[in-house]
Amino acid sequence: MIETAEAPSSSLVEGAEPPPPRTSPRTAARRGGPRPRRTPGLVLSYGWVALSAVVVLVPLAYLASLSLMTQGQISAGLLLPAEPAWQNWGNAWNSAIPRGIANSLAAAFIGALLTLALALPGAWTIARHRTGGSALSGLILSPWLLPPVVAIIPLLTLLRLLGLINTLPGLTLVYALMNVPVAIWLLDGFIRRIPVEIEEAARLDGAGELQLLFRVVVPVLGPALIAVGVIVAILNYNEFLFATFLTQSEGSQTVPVVLAGMLSERVQDFGRIAASSLLAVIPIFTIAVLLQRHLVEGLTTGAVK
Amino acid sequence: MSTDQLQRSPAAPSPPPHSPRPPAGSGPRRRRSDRFLHRVFVTPSVLTLLVLALYPLLFIAAAAFSRSSLGQPFQEFSGLENLRTAAGDPAVQDSMVLGTGYALGVAAASTVLGTITAVALWRSVRSGAVLRTLLLLPMIVPPVIVGILWSFIFSPSGGLIDTALRQFSSYSGTFAVLSDTSWAIIGVAVADTWEWTPLVVLLVFTALLGQDPEILEAAQIDGAQPVQQFFHITLPTIAGTVAAAFLIRLILAFKVFDLVYVMTSGGPGSSTQVPAYLIWRAALQNFDVGMAASITLVLAVVVTLVTLPIFYLTKRLRDD
Repeated sequence: MIETAEAPSSSLVEGAEPPPPRTSPRTAARRGGPRPRRTPGLVLSYGWVALSAVVVLVPLAYLASLSLMTQGQISAGLLLPAEPAWQNWGNAWNSAIPRGIANSLAAAFIGALLTLALALPGAWTIARHRTGGSALSGLILSPWLLPPVVAIIPLLTLLRLLGLINTLPGLTLVYALMNVPVAIWLLDGFIRRIPVEIEEAARLDGAGELQLLFRVVVPVLGPALIAVGVIVAILNYNEFLFATFLTQSEGSQTVPVVLAGMLSERVQDFGRIAASSLLAVIPIFTIAVLLQRHLVEGLTTGAVK
Repeated sequence: MSTDQLQRSPAAPSPPPHSPRPPAGSGPRRRRSDRFLHRVFVTPSVLTLLVLALYPLLFIAAAAFSRSSLGQPFQEFSGLENLRTAAGDPAVQDSMVLGTGYALGVAAASTVLGTITAVALWRSVRSGAVLRTLLLLPMIVPPVIVGILWSFIFSPSGGLIDTALRQFSSYSGTFAVLSDTSWAIIGVAVADTWEWTPLVVLLVFTALLGQDPEILEAAQIDGAQPVQQFFHITLPTIAGTVAAAFLIRLILAFKVFDLVYVMTSGGPGSSTQVPAYLIWRAALQNFDVGMAASITLVLAVVVTLVTLPIFYLTKRLRDD
């Protein structure tokens, strides 16, 4: 599989086939690869896929429905609001939620950019030159294995030393470091798919290692960098444990922390919490839908060989 | 650099077709400076490892062997006392058993459901970009929101399940999943499975797309039945990915914290007190960092013992 900047690598996951014309099963099999024949099993497959879609969508639709109900309507056991209670959304908008979303987005994206900057040179060197040997490439993912609770107290102490506790920059810095192992792991899959010949040709043309990295590897890796960046940003946006400890002050809280705070209020207002949750999900869903090809590509790259 | 250019210039005799390519970075000087640059490139990664792995590890080891509180770590050396207390504490033992059972159960459920879904998706829609994005959604919902969402669904006063039971059956009692000692952990597991099964679907689906079409076509021409095709061709090609997905899922499940925090806070009683939550309580509610560190060490041993066999199995399946 030769992937270059001209042929966006997302075609790999989109399916190696061109959009299959609906012809007879035989030609379809020849053109589009292993298309199973039409059997009773196919009906079962469609049924299962439909069921999966329902299982995914019903809870989300229920959340949307809750966000438009008053507490009374919810307790009465309604599934759909009799008349939409839009005030839930107004209440959500006039709370700490928008600020939390802004904080989350800032920490997520600046953190992701820093992660890429830290991880890319390392990933390339480890994949191509085996610097650090098998020990380094084997150890890279080790911080990911244990619950992150483990790292909290040591990191808390470190941030206190740096004077960054309870600040957004402090949290962003932790996010930037935290994802370097995952980013290296994901980038490794992409780097291995770049034909070595491209790099060798550039080297023969007299490119030094730095030029090679920035003039050859980075442009070819473009789509992959977006994929990994988006995944890391989503991980950051969703992160809760570190955020709740490293941002105690109200101005620096991220959106999961604000939401968890709403849950611990004495009287829970389901409708307002549902509307706030949906508000918090909107940015991340938008990004995911817009960049879904890149996202999918990044998530599966470890499995594709 | 100069030798490279020389060989590339048209005046230089082109190398005979069978001769090996000239070494990429020729000359000892260039190689040494390259190696130096490579070390520079790797430095951020190594630093990350030090900050994220070695430093916490040393910190935890030191804390486990000393009396430590959140404000004042390492007050005095206490030897094996913390570890002995942690390993002998029934609450810790229960938590480890619960955590292991939970992780294995949730990983198995996600892997089985995810693999079936991926195969069904592949059989019915070859590319399925829209469906795939749809099925991906739970994974990008923040876990805190997944927890909130499922708490609402399981709520005994007007929750989705409660309401559905009342409307479509003659049931009239209250079914409070999350406040029942034996059902609460299953409630958390359902939310967890809902959230992370899409990852398995995605990994397996991609592996299915990566199958060699010619082998399957040959089998079809030879008259292999769909069931035979599946067990003899498809399954062996995806086995490695399925095993890897199980491993990833297992590790994710051992780390579950957000869902428990939001849905049950470890309760009712201690019925959903998974290891990550127990460590969090010891360190940040009881401020006993020494104890938290010791429980962490116990957990490290448990996780290693559980995942190591699966790790080797995965490795063998993928190397085939």
